[in-house]
Amino acid sequence: MFDQFKEYLRKKVTLTDEQFDLISEGIKVKTFEKNQIILTPGEISTKTYFVAEGLIRCYSIDSKGKANVIQFAPEQWWLSERNGFFNEPSDFFIDAIEHTTALILPRNYFNDAAVHVPCLHDLNNTMLNNSIRFMQKRINMLLSATAEERYLDFIKLYPNLTLRVPQWMIASYLGITPESLSRVRKDLAHKHFKP
Amino acid sequence: MNNRILKTVSAVLDAPEPQLIGDGFLVSNFFPAGYKLQMNPFFLLDFNAKMELASSLEPKGIGVHPHRGFETVTIAYHGAVAHQDSAGNSGVIFPGDVQWMTAAKGILHKEFFEQEFSIRGGIFQMVQLWVNMPAKDKLAEPRYQAIKNEDIGKYILEDDKGVIEVIAGIYNGIRGAASTFTDLHVYNARVNEGAEFLLTFPSHYNTGIMIIEGSLIINETTTVHENQFVHFSNNGEEIHIKATAKSVILVLSGAPIDEPVARYGPFVMNTKEEIEQALDDYNNGLFGYLEE
Repeated sequence: MFDQFKEYLRKKVTLTDEQFDLISEGIKVKTFEKNQIILTPGEISTKTYFVAEGLIRCYSIDSKGKANVIQFAPEQWWLSERNGFFNEPSDFFIDAIEHTTALILPRNYFNDAAVHVPCLHDLNNTMLNNSIRFMQKRINMLLSATAEERYLDFIKLYPNLTLRVPQWMIASYLGITPESLSRVRKDLAHKHFKP
Repeated sequence: MNNRILKTVSAVLDAPEPQLIGDGFLVSNFFPAGYKLQMNPFFLLDFNAKMELASSLEPKGIGVHPHRGFETVTIAYHGAVAHQDSAGNSGVIFPGDVQWMTAAKGILHKEFFEQEFSIRGGIFQMVQLWVNMPAKDKLAEPRYQAIKNEDIGKYILEDDKGVIEVIAGIYNGIRGAASTFTDLHVYNARVNEGAEFLLTFPSHYNTGIMIIEGSLIINETTTVHENQFVHFSNNGEEIHIKATAKSVILVLSGAPIDEPVARYGPFVMNTKEEIEQALDDYNNGLFGYLEE
């Protein structure tokens, strides 16, 4: 599992084995069973999850009892509930959609690790900015995009989730009804399927 | 004079812990997950051991899912399975029937207990095989062979000891019902206690037998029972079978396909790039549409 994290970091920064050993001391590895709840609203979470194997999600349950998916995190994705950074209770659930093994990074991990590997400070900035950029695009999609546009964007971002996640859950992430998602996929099939 | 050497038994394997597939089928995966076996071109063997299906108005099963790059072979032993695919094929597989579905370039598929059987309830038992295809054929047009038991050629053993149903390949001159892309043999031997017969396959063919029912002695030395899978080494050409009880035996033997395998879920291709293409094609509707 640590090898996967090392490989992930080495795609972005130069890192020796010795440096990696230094910066991986504070990291724990945890396994979650399918459907296991990792975080519930009201808890304060200071943890960041890096998924080595499996799939977790962050979601809320609204007043009608509907689950609204904020984010999926398959392999090599990060997931962190951000109220915890400010010591405030979580608004969201996190649970495991599949049996998952994740690295658990403590709060301020990158700032602490940057003491040993200074370029991690810049990496953290880049990752945070990327996250914000991603959220902006997602808000814009949810405000203005058609169901088909949302779906086509989703399959570029998460190419294998259509095989791993039920359709209603994808629809929830996209902010459309399961019937709309079904219609989008049916229309695509009519366009592209040549029996 | 018979100069052939006997194939040695390399492993006798108990059924792995069964898992629920969809909401209906309870399946032991002998390979590739349960045991690491050299059974190329047979890529996967799922065995739903005999079970009592409770009556249900709403048929249970596995909902819409894709396949690319291989064939699924479904053999019903007890009960009945209804299926439908995105190319417009549908039907019911009754005991003794075989569905040989060539997914090839891509198809969507669903499988459920057949309606009347589901309402009635009863004994269910089934095997599903995934048969790999050569690279040159993996993107061929999907094809569907619904093989009824009465259309399967049968070799009749002497003294009414039973029959060998030749589903694919050839046995003692009886040709298999299914058309295949590579040289392979699939038989159902339905035999009485005391039946003895020989199986003959080239030594380099990967060979195994699934004991669906009953018990046998193999090569006069190895006793095996219901729900076990027997894997053979790549030496020798003959297997001697003697049934020690009324038995049903699924026989698999095939020439290995000497090509790399890249698999992701229901896609069995040759390279990582082809898997990425399969995902992209599936997501963009190139496998068609099938209502849940």
